[in-house]
Amino acid sequence: MYFLIIPLGFVLALRGGRSVPLQRPVEGLTRVWREAADLFLTTSLILTLGVVVLAWEPCRGVAGEYTILGLGVVAYALARYQKKSDVFFLVSMLIAFMIHSRPVDLLSGLSLAWAVSVGIAIFQTCFLGLRYRLLFSNVPAAVKGWPMFCLLAGFLSVVLWSVGRLIF
Amino acid sequence: MKLPENLFSRLLLAYLPFMVYPYGLFKTGVAALWVAMFLWITVSFFWLTRSFFPGRSLKHAFFLWLVVWAQAVWTLTKLPPLWILSVFFLMPVSFLESAVRPERVSVFSWKVPRYFFERALAGVGFVIFVVAMALVREACEKGLGIKLFEQPAGLLFVIAAIAFLWKNQPFRRRA
Repeated sequence: MYFLIIPLGFVLALRGGRSVPLQRPVEGLTRVWREAADLFLTTSLILTLGVVVLAWEPCRGVAGEYTILGLGVVAYALARYQKKSDVFFLVSMLIAFMIHSRPVDLLSGLSLAWAVSVGIAIFQTCFLGLRYRLLFSNVPAAVKGWPMFCLLAGFLSVVLWSVGRLIF
Repeated sequence: MKLPENLFSRLLLAYLPFMVYPYGLFKTGVAALWVAMFLWITVSFFWLTRSFFPGRSLKHAFFLWLVVWAQAVWTLTKLPPLWILSVFFLMPVSFLESAVRPERVSVFSWKVPRYFFERALAGVGFVIFVVAMALVREACEKGLGIKLFEQPAGLLFVIAAIAFLWKNQPFRRRA
């Protein structure tokens, strides 16, 4: 599950929706955590619906066979209802699927969804904070953009790896 | 620092989901090949049928198309559907924007081969990039035993180096 946090957190940080305002870090921070809460609630709802459908005898066979289709349609409907970005829909669907494909009960699944959402939020918060600090540093133009973003993500991955090993 | 929406950016974003796959060189290469092939199939399909989807239904159709294929591939090969995120990032930027009206292009126009050449290039570039990264990972993790490559950090540092070199190409700087 740790391997989901860094790449998907990085994707959400760069393409998750409207770009976070670096000049107003508090607003950006609020938005990051609100998005993480939305991600957790959306993923949890998808997982719960999946478990409910699988518990219903007439649907069990079809639902078990077409898991991705079911999760995808529900994730898409929920993302559109919340007016979320396309990346949010894909990320929530993928997290729900990766948790669903594990042999865990609903409570453990929800705990995993919570851990992944919080992990993504921590990654995005640190990423935002480091980018904010870099605003006031003399970063050479040669490393601005992708090189700097990948370096920051790499450093955060090293730091979060130690925490992630304790949880997952 | 705003990222430009060029091919290189999309290539890097499309590679990120591949960090989650725990596969070796061969399986990663096959998955990347599938992504490139599926990209070409998707581009051709929607290029030919785009006019049949009125307004915003194109977007719904595109995501349904992705989910249905993700299900089919999972059923047949048990490949987790993370690859659809790669396809999403490799698709043309303006493709899903409802404000962009498709211009009428003759089949014999010079724009058609160029359009498909760019998409083909994106697919081939993606496969080469993924295989190169898998090679680096294999060499550093198994060959040299560098622990950093057991997690996404190692590859992110390699991508940072590649992005630095790409950004500071001598001929581009002169231009």
